Amino acid sequence: MSSKAANPIMRSAAWRISLWASLAFAIGTMLVFAMLHRFVASDLQRRSDAWLSGEVGVLSDVAARTPKDRLYGRVVGEVAELASREVPYREQASTTENDAVFFLQAGDNGPLRLWVGYGDGAANLAAIRSTQASHDVPFDVRVQGFRIPFRVASVRMNDGSNIYLGLSERDEVHVLRKLRVRFLTLWVVIVLLGFIIVFFATRRMLGRVTEITEAASRIGQSDLSSRVPDTKGKDEIGHLADTLNHMLDRIESTVHQLHTITDSLAHDLRSPLTAVRGKLETALAGGVIEDHAESIVSAIDELDRLTEFLNTSLDVAEAQADALRLSRTEVDLDALVRDMIDLYEPSMSNKGLGFQMKSAGAIKIMADPGLLHRVIANLLDNELKHLPASCLVCISLEADEHMATLTLEDNGPGFDAEISRHLFERRVKGRASRGHGLGLAFVEAVVRVHGGSVTAANRREGGARLTVMLPLCEAERQNESDLLALANASDSQG
Amino acid sequence: MRILLVEDELEIQSFVKQSLTGAGYDVHTAEDGATAALLAAKYVYHAMIVDLGLPDQDGIDLILQMRKAGVTSPVLILSARRSVDDRVKGLELGGDDYLTKPFAIAELLARTRSLLRRNTPQAEDPSRLRVYDLELDTLRRRATRGDEVLNLSPQEFVLLEYLCRNAGRVVTRSMLMTEVWGMRFQPDTNVVDVHIYRLRGKIDTEGREPLIKTLRGIGYVLEGS
Repeated sequence: MSSKAANPIMRSAAWRISLWASLAFAIGTMLVFAMLHRFVASDLQRRSDAWLSGEVGVLSDVAARTPKDRLYGRVVGEVAELASREVPYREQASTTENDAVFFLQAGDNGPLRLWVGYGDGAANLAAIRSTQASHDVPFDVRVQGFRIPFRVASVRMNDGSNIYLGLSERDEVHVLRKLRVRFLTLWVVIVLLGFIIVFFATRRMLGRVTEITEAASRIGQSDLSSRVPDTKGKDEIGHLADTLNHMLDRIESTVHQLHTITDSLAHDLRSPLTAVRGKLETALAGGVIEDHAESIVSAIDELDRLTEFLNTSLDVAEAQADALRLSRTEVDLDALVRDMIDLYEPSMSNKGLGFQMKSAGAIKIMADPGLLHRVIANLLDNELKHLPASCLVCISLEADEHMATLTLEDNGPGFDAEISRHLFERRVKGRASRGHGLGLAFVEAVVRVHGGSVTAANRREGGARLTVMLPLCEAERQNESDLLALANASDSQG
Repeated sequence: MRILLVEDELEIQSFVKQSLTGAGYDVHTAEDGATAALLAAKYVYHAMIVDLGLPDQDGIDLILQMRKAGVTSPVLILSARRSVDDRVKGLELGGDDYLTKPFAIAELLARTRSLLRRNTPQAEDPSRLRVYDLELDTLRRRATRGDEVLNLSPQEFVLLEYLCRNAGRVVTRSMLMTEVWGMRFQPDTNVVDVHIYRLRGKIDTEGREPLIKTLRGIGYVLEGS
């Protein structure tokens, strides 16, 4: 992955999920270790305390029984030396001087009576005397010159002196430190490994979701007949794919039904319409008296209007159900609008309407030109029908990076306030309108099927403004290439 | 010229046959695909008019089947479907044409005529058209009536040219929309009529014989000499 792709990874759900999972795992294991550590530490202390208490008992026994003569110091010293060789958890035998254990006998105040250990013992005695702890159980003593405290057990002799046996906690500390270092190393490795495993597992899983999303969006944009890729696993994501595919089946069959209904409706209505129209026309051509001719002509007009209504109605129904069949080609919106203006200009000037067009040149969009003709014709028909004479109609065309914008403005009376919120609904029309109320619904539906949008509002300075936005050719191609890139990326991931 | 009309709706069949016969064609009719195929194997037709919704088979399949059997006559497809099938569009490329129902008889006749013209080699369209005292030079885009040069916009010239080429025949609004403006829809307002009024204002000036006639409910006709 390039550095460019690093950011998307950090923003991905897989990254977040694995981060949180690893964090929870790390904290959990750390807590477990803390408990274990405490347990081990207290156990070690308990054992060394037991040893100390035992040894100090033996020593006090020996001290009590040994007569207080010249040999007293030597005998008790020997015994203390022997005891110090049996220090539990002894690890370091490297130092020849044994500074891990000391033995001393002293009164409550006054000098040392007996000392076995490293150095002269003055610091030890001072440290013991300054410790205010109860002397029945072993206690901690910090001796000057030693980083690690001693654990000291004491026994009070009958002669008023005290026997102290001290054991450095150095070995315990060593053991615990070793434990910590080993655990931390292992912990880091395990957490990292867990993170990596969770990350790749979720990414794989979410990759399938992404595939489904992409497929679904492709289906939404183009054909309803294709399906979301079926994953082999029968897990939640397999279910998601299944559910989506079921839904697509339903949608496709509904759309198919709509097509069938509209087609058969169209067919069933068109055949009689054709027959009636044909007969009327034949009658008209056959030469009839003037009175009859007039009514036949108006009947034909009504039939044509009915046909148009039928067509538009079905188109709106299909477009609103996203079932309108488009035959898209590259269309120059500018040229198309100019053609429409050529068609409408005489009618406009006949009615006394002024006309203006602003455009910056060709704007290429992918659209169904037949439908676009009708969209623009609808808009212009509306202007023709509703604007009073001597108004001005202005069409402007603009394009930004993605969208082409067609704005149609006039300085007429604007939309009726009561219908302006429902302009794009079917059968909504102004009170004065003689149309069938499908025009803007058709416009909206067709534009939406093309991936654009329509907005309508009254201008502040008076008159109406309709804005039609349609996606540009390049934008569509860009979209497609984006999708392609995404698909490729997911391929390479999977 | 002999034309085969394949249409199962008898009401429609009868008036179409009547209009075609009236226009001087020899019309054979069939109500289903099987009869049509038999007839097409037996006779040579200059053109065929085929409805897509036949009782026994799809019109497109019938056409393809006849094509396979070596029938080369051009086909005018009648379709009650709203949007035109892609397969129909494919056929259209082969020189065939389609018409959606309901249609004006004038349009049916015009399309039949152009189908027949395609099949029979003809001299190139003349670059000079003359109707009564109206003259069009299609190369120099110049129109004159009598001695007077008419001042027409390019759009008006195309419209007049189409009317002249169909002089004496009825032209409907939808034919004008398709042939002059290249759009297949019916505007909600009378935009085409306004174009015709304008053109008429330039051609049929005071004191001249009016050439462009309105046939109410049907369309227009440029009276030939």
